[in-house]
Amino acid sequence: MNQAYSITAAELAARGRDDIPPELLSSAHLIYSSPATLAFNSPGAQGFGVKRAGLAVPGSVMLLVAPACCGRNTAALGCEASLAERFFYLMQDDTDIVTGRHLARIPEAVKEVCDSCAKRPSAVMICITCVDALLGTDMERVCRKASDYAGVPVVPCYMYALTREGRLPPMVSVRRSVYSLLQPREKVPASVNILGFFSPLRDDSELYTLLNSAGVRTIREISRCADFAEYQAMAEANFNLVLNQEARHAAADLRKRLDIPSIELARLYQTDKIANQYRLLGQAVGAAFDDAPHREQAEKAIADFHGKYGARTFAVGEWLNADPFELSLALIRNGFSVSEIFGTVGGSNFVYVKKIAALSPDTKIYSNLSPSMMFYDGRESDCDTVIGRDAMYYHPGLPGVPWNEEQQPFGYAGVSALFDVLGNALSGKESTR
Amino acid sequence: MKSLLKHLSPFAPDQSGAVSALFEFGGLIVICDAGGCTGNICGFDEPRWFTSRGAVFSAGLRDMDAILGRDDRLVAKLKDAMDGSGLAFSAIIGTPVPAIIATDFKALKRMAEKRTGLPAITVATTGTRHYDRGASDAWLELFKTFATEKLENDPGVVGVLGASPLDFPALNAGKLLSSALKDDGWKTVNCYGMGAGLDAVKTASAAARNIVVSPAGLATAKYLQKTFGTPYEVHCPWLPPQVLDALPALAGKKTLVIHQQFAANAVRDAILNLDSASQVAVASWFMMEPEFMHDGDFQIESEEAFVEAIVNGGYDAVVCDSRLRTALPRTQAFNIIDFPHFAVSGRLLDEVK
Repeated sequence: MNQAYSITAAELAARGRDDIPPELLSSAHLIYSSPATLAFNSPGAQGFGVKRAGLAVPGSVMLLVAPACCGRNTAALGCEASLAERFFYLMQDDTDIVTGRHLARIPEAVKEVCDSCAKRPSAVMICITCVDALLGTDMERVCRKASDYAGVPVVPCYMYALTREGRLPPMVSVRRSVYSLLQPREKVPASVNILGFFSPLRDDSELYTLLNSAGVRTIREISRCADFAEYQAMAEANFNLVLNQEARHAAADLRKRLDIPSIELARLYQTDKIANQYRLLGQAVGAAFDDAPHREQAEKAIADFHGKYGARTFAVGEWLNADPFELSLALIRNGFSVSEIFGTVGGSNFVYVKKIAALSPDTKIYSNLSPSMMFYDGRESDCDTVIGRDAMYYHPGLPGVPWNEEQQPFGYAGVSALFDVLGNALSGKESTR
Repeated sequence: MKSLLKHLSPFAPDQSGAVSALFEFGGLIVICDAGGCTGNICGFDEPRWFTSRGAVFSAGLRDMDAILGRDDRLVAKLKDAMDGSGLAFSAIIGTPVPAIIATDFKALKRMAEKRTGLPAITVATTGTRHYDRGASDAWLELFKTFATEKLENDPGVVGVLGASPLDFPALNAGKLLSSALKDDGWKTVNCYGMGAGLDAVKTASAAARNIVVSPAGLATAKYLQKTFGTPYEVHCPWLPPQVLDALPALAGKKTLVIHQQFAANAVRDAILNLDSASQVAVASWFMMEPEFMHDGDFQIESEEAFVEAIVNGGYDAVVCDSRLRTALPRTQAFNIIDFPHFAVSGRLLDEVK
C-alpha cells in the first residue's frame, strides 16, 4: 500500500453492487480519520454529531454519562458559549464500568444539573456511549427513574459508535430521541413538520412556497422552534415531510405513537428529478404544484455559470450537503466533468454510480476512509474546481466551496445557491476556505 | 458530586496521551475503537494532525467485533495497511471498548509482530484515565522496544523525556526546549517525540543525561537509569514568555500554580527566585509525583474541589489555563495568569519564538 486506491465508475458499475471492492468498504480495512473525514467518521466529533443533535430539543441540556474520553471533544463544541452551558458530564471510572454503580448516581446527577441551571431545563438528554452498549444498560429505565426523581423529562441518546453500520446507527437513533417528547395532540390539517435536519432549510427554499400554495399554513422544523411549547406543537402536524433518510425511523415512531403519517423526499441536484419529486408530492397531498418558475431559475443559474466559466472539471467530496454521487451525476448531465468522487458507495447510491459510468466512465471513485488515502496525491488529478470540505482538503490550491453550511439547501433553491457560491469562488469574490 | 463536571469539559484522556507520545516516531498507530475515540484524538487532542499526515487509524470496531473478540481480523487489517507502507512499527492503543471486553494486549502484540514481521507496541489505555498516564505507558513501551543496545556515553548528548503538545502549548515546543538546553551548554539535544525520532530512541543509551520535563516522562527516565545507568533530572527549561512576563507581579504574593506538575514547579521556582518570601503552592489535575511535591501542594480531585480551593484559598493570583475560570463563581473576581494547557482546554499559544 503506497498509493491511494481508486476505481473508475465503469469498473465499479461492471462489478455491481454485490461486488464492491473491499478498499471501498469501511468494514474491510482500518479507517483513516484524515482531517477530510472527521465530521462524519465519528458520531460525536464535529458538526451535528449525537451530542449536538441531542440538544435540538429547545431548552434542553445534555448529561454525557461516559468515560472522560467520550466527552473530550465537546470542549470544541463548547467554544460556542450557548452550547457550552448546556453540556454536563458524569464521568465513569473503571469501577463504574465493572460494577455499573454509576447508574445509581444518574438521578442525583440529573437533579444537581437541573438545580445548577439558571433556568430549569425543558428536558435532560442523557448521552451514553459504547461502554453502556457493551454493558447492556437499560437506559430507558434509568431515565424514567431519573425523571421521577428530578421532576424533568429525561431522554436517552445513544452514541453507540459500535452500531454505526447496524440497524439503528447513532444518527438515526438520536433523531428518534429528539422527537420522543412529543405527546398526542389533536391534528391541525394545515400543519406540517419537516424532519431530517438539526438546522433549518435555507429561507429561500421553494418548498415553503409550494407547501403554502397547497394550503399548508404552519410548517415546523425543530431547529426553528423558539421554545419547548412550540416544539410540543409539532405533535399537531397533519403529516411529516422526511428530507433525510436518517429520519425515517423517527417518522415511523411518530406514525406509531402520534398517528402522523410521513412522506419522504430526497435532496437532489438534478432539476428534472426535483420536478418529478414535487409532482409526486403534489399527487400525495392532492395539490398541483407550480414549480416551473423555480425550476427555470435553477436552470438559468446553471446555464449562467456554464456560460461564464465553461465546462469545469470537478472533484466532489462527501462532507457536504448532498449525496456526492447524485451531485456528480447532476454536474455531468449539465455538461460539466467530474474527475474524482470521494464518497461511500452503498445500496442507496449505487444507482447513480451506474448512470455516471454510462456518461463518464473514467470518473475515479475514492473512499475517504481507506488507509491508502494517506498516500493520495492531488497533483495527479485534472480537476480544476472542488465541492465539499473533504475534497478541499485534498486540493488545497484549487478554487472550491465546502457546501456544508448549517442552513440546509433543498430543491431548486439549493441548485441555484450552489452555482451562485461556485461562481463567487471562481471569481474570487468570496473566500473559499 | 465528585465525578460530575458542571462547568468544565473532560480533559485529554490516556489514549490521547499515548498517541501524542508516539505520533512522530514513524509508526502505524491503530486506535482500537469504533471511530469516536479516533475522531476525538485526531480532531481535537493532536494538533499536529492538521499540519502533517500521520499514520493514525481507527480499528473501526463494530458490535460483533466486540462481542466475538475478533482480534485476528484487526491484525489482518493492520497487516494490509502496513504492507508496502514503509512504516517502521505498529502501535495498538486501547480505548474503553477493549478495556471492557478484556482484550489481551500482550497477545495482540505477539500476533501483530508475527503477521507484519515488524516490532509492535501495545498500550492498554482505557479512556478513563488522564493523558499523562497514557503518554507515560507509551513512552516506556517505546523505549523498552527500541532502546535495547548499550552504547558508549556521549557527554554532549542530552535526552528530553515527557514533551508533547498536551504538556507544552506550542507546536514548536520541542525546538524551544532544545534551544534552552543548548543555551545551557548541551551540544546535542534529543527531544523525544517533538523533534527527535526513532533513531534517537534507538541510541538513547548514549545520552549523558535525561531531562524530564513532565511527569509522563518519569517512568521512562527511571527505566533508562536502571537499564543503562543514564542519570536524569527533573527540570523544565522553557516556560512561555507570557507567563514569565507576568511573574514579577507575583513576587512576595500568595500564588497557586495549576499545570502539569513539573511545569508548575518551574513557575514556582521562577517566582521564588524573584522573592524567596513568596508563598507558592502547586496543584494539578494530573499526575503528582510525591518526591517533587512541597508542603501545601495538592492533587485536584474534582471540579467541586477545584472551586473550593480557589474560592477559599486566599490566593493573590492563580497561574493556570484561563479556561478553568469558567468553573469559578462569576460574581467574584480572581487574578488569573493564563498558562495554556492543551490537555485542559485544547488551546495552543500563538506562535512562540
